[in-house]
Amino acid sequence: MAGVGFRKWAQALTKSKGTGISALLSGCRAASGGSKGSLPGSYPTTPEEKAAAAKKYNIRVEDYEPYPDKGEGFGDYPKLPDRSQHERDPWYKWDHPDLRRNWGEPMHWDFDMYIRNRVDTSPSPVDWISMCKQLFGFIGFMLFMFYIGEKFPSYQPVAPKQYPYNNLYLEKGGDPEKQPEEVKNYGI
Amino acid sequence: MADYREAPLATRPRTLDPNDYFNLSPEKRRADEERAALRANLKRQYQTQLNNPHRKELIEDPALTRWVYARSNPYPHFRPTFKTSLLGFACGVFPLFALYYIFKTDRVR
Repeated sequence: MAGVGFRKWAQALTKSKGTGISALLSGCRAASGGSKGSLPGSYPTTPEEKAAAAKKYNIRVEDYEPYPDKGEGFGDYPKLPDRSQHERDPWYKWDHPDLRRNWGEPMHWDFDMYIRNRVDTSPSPVDWISMCKQLFGFIGFMLFMFYIGEKFPSYQPVAPKQYPYNNLYLEKGGDPEKQPEEVKNYGI
Repeated sequence: MADYREAPLATRPRTLDPNDYFNLSPEKRRADEERAALRANLKRQYQTQLNNPHRKELIEDPALTRWVYARSNPYPHFRPTFKTSLLGFACGVFPLFALYYIFKTDRVR
């Protein structure tokens, strides 16, 4: 009896195409959770499809521009300008202030790249040429100086170490009877 | 400042953007108003749900759902073209054989 009940439940599960617990229990689709038409679809070809897609994504029809259909997997997702969240007004009352985004606003495909912890496309404080000149000038100068340092090394003057007792004649195994030659390691 | 050149992939400061000064037209104003109307509609929906005292559950964001769905399901829209197959080879096939070769020769040495 329990086995029969389990089999019927499993059949109902596989037949239902719904979402969530309500689908598991009743076998029909839940009304909540977004309808099928609100999810991204395939590349729009006709103007009606374009208008429908623009309405779906809450964008003006003139602003809606899908990614070019090169088979890269974008479908009808809109191509929004590549602007980081850094650039958005910090003083406007966003619905989500840390993300600087309003509820329901279409998200960029690379939204997780453009958050405020990551890539920043805001205008640079100094222009590109000055930045290039400063960076490569510094690196070039340091490389040049290191090269010269390799070619002309400079260090404290060194000489071989001088030992006392006639260059350690006895310690090096010299004959104690024989008189060693006098070694003078200094000059006055 | 007349010769300001922005960094590649970065934007120009709003005050140096010539479009703000020269290309103003009623169409642009109308477009901005339409965008503001869309934005206000979304704001209204969000605020009604947010301030609803009988709401017990999370406010679901359909734009977020669509984004997640689009990012995780690219395969129905995938088509093998020259560029995509080249990319696939460069990322999937080439490292396989290259790493095999490198490890094999390194181990022998």
